[in-house]
Amino acid sequence: MDIETESRRDGVWAQPYELVTGQTQHHKLGHVRLWVTLLEKEWQVRTETREPETDPVGWTESIDHRLPPASESLKRFVREGSTSTVTFIPAVANLPTVIRPYHPLTIPGGMRCTIYVGTVVWMKICVGQNQTLLTEVPLAVPSLTWVGRNTMEGELCYASPNFGRLVLEAVPKRAWRAVTPVTIINRRTEPLLLERFSLPTPLLSLHQNDRGELWTPGVVVEVATDMNSASLHVDEGLLVAAGPCKKVAPAREKAAKGRLVRAIDRVFG
Amino acid sequence: MAEELKTGAMSVFADIAWGQWISSGFLLLLGIVLASFAARSVSKVMAKRSSRHHTVMVRRLVFYIIFLLFGVAALREAGFSLDVVLGAAGILTVAIGFASQTSASNMISGLFLLVEKPFEIGDFIEVETIMGEVVGIDMLSVKLRTRDNLYVRIPNETLIKTPVVNRSRFPIRRIDLQVGIAYAEDAEKVEALLLELAEKNPACLEEPKAFVLVTAFGPSSVDLQFSFWVPKDKVLESKSGMLVAVKKTLDRAGIEIPFPHTSIYAGSHSEPFRVQLMAPEKVIEKEPLDVEKDS
Repeated sequence: MDIETESRRDGVWAQPYELVTGQTQHHKLGHVRLWVTLLEKEWQVRTETREPETDPVGWTESIDHRLPPASESLKRFVREGSTSTVTFIPAVANLPTVIRPYHPLTIPGGMRCTIYVGTVVWMKICVGQNQTLLTEVPLAVPSLTWVGRNTMEGELCYASPNFGRLVLEAVPKRAWRAVTPVTIINRRTEPLLLERFSLPTPLLSLHQNDRGELWTPGVVVEVATDMNSASLHVDEGLLVAAGPCKKVAPAREKAAKGRLVRAIDRVFG
Repeated sequence: MAEELKTGAMSVFADIAWGQWISSGFLLLLGIVLASFAARSVSKVMAKRSSRHHTVMVRRLVFYIIFLLFGVAALREAGFSLDVVLGAAGILTVAIGFASQTSASNMISGLFLLVEKPFEIGDFIEVETIMGEVVGIDMLSVKLRTRDNLYVRIPNETLIKTPVVNRSRFPIRRIDLQVGIAYAEDAEKVEALLLELAEKNPACLEEPKAFVLVTAFGPSSVDLQFSFWVPKDKVLESKSGMLVAVKKTLDRAGIEIPFPHTSIYAGSHSEPFRVQLMAPEKVIEKEPLDVEKDS
């Protein structure tokens, strides 16, 4: 199955790769294997998604002159002029993501905590100087869940079982997941049991630090009286721990007032 | 005689106010053109901001109002008094009402449907034994496109009288699968296997949670109900995919899905059955399981 490769390098987000006609670029990232082939008049993209036993960390990229196995799903795109650059832009999930710690976390009254959550990113395959989008691929198969008061009202979200890590060093740094620091402030006197939490991923932009890690701005949730009155806002700045970062992708949606109110309404499902 | 007739015909021809008739005809034509133009513009504006159902409703309303206004103006232009026309229409309505009870009933039912709004254009509904996507809600009937691409017209009256199931009203749906296992199998083990399947399937929602119930001790199997939730647009493929996955998983775990068995009991007082072998006994190779074929 594995094809002999000329060279194996680390993949990089938002960096244009130059291909020669007839070349195939192979990527191994997250749960996905991806082949991008440049032909005389077309681009070909093949993908294969598998759930590995253990989560891979890195991203390897290699170039080959042979076509990948024919069994993989193939998408063809017309090549305009002599465009030969391909860029991979990360993108956040297009639906909110429900974070569910494996073990519920209790935040005592009057206390605050920051949990670090990793969410799956999508890979946008763009070509040419203008970065024309060909297609986008989720780097792990996202599972769905329902957030709402009942089965009639609510919204579909992606589900992300999580360890709800409180220590940044313990968070695995994977090239295909973006880290979001979520600060939860419990202003009540009673303890707050954090069983699941809806993260408004479409409102988050993506930033890359010099170690190649993806970060999103922090999210602050403040619970004053009861769960339904939790207020949520996205921090403009990034966590200091992320280091110097450059923005690699804008948020999918602008934080319109109505959208945010809905998100707040369902912060805790 | 012929001359008189000719003169009479000429005078009748000359007496008709052609100018009025032409202008009223022109008004009608203008009405149709303007109404269509206005309806199309309104629909274009609404298409981006509103549902298909509302867009179609407003488009029709705009068309009929403008056309009616121009129709009234055309009648006046032709020299008809509106009072007389309305009076005649009243008498006509009674006559027509008796003659077309069904149509009138459908029209009134149509109005109720519009107000009650049990479904919208684009919804997938089930009426009696017909299932299909609503492609039009009109004055007299609702048009459906079935899954096998048939065009079905259902009178509005039928929709008011019979139960209508709207399969796409809510964003998520529950699928209930009936799974039978042999009496010798461990129901709890099967339950765990089925729940694991739901957990691994990306189309199955994490919340509301999937569950398994033992529903009955059937004639030849212990009957289980495996229920899980999916988004409304993934019902068909999820159901089919899950059935295949259930079969494979149970095969792999060596759990028997029994077909109906019949035990014949001759009773304690009756004679034993006489069994006679018609052919020499030989070993028949069992057909391989699906899961073995794959691997």
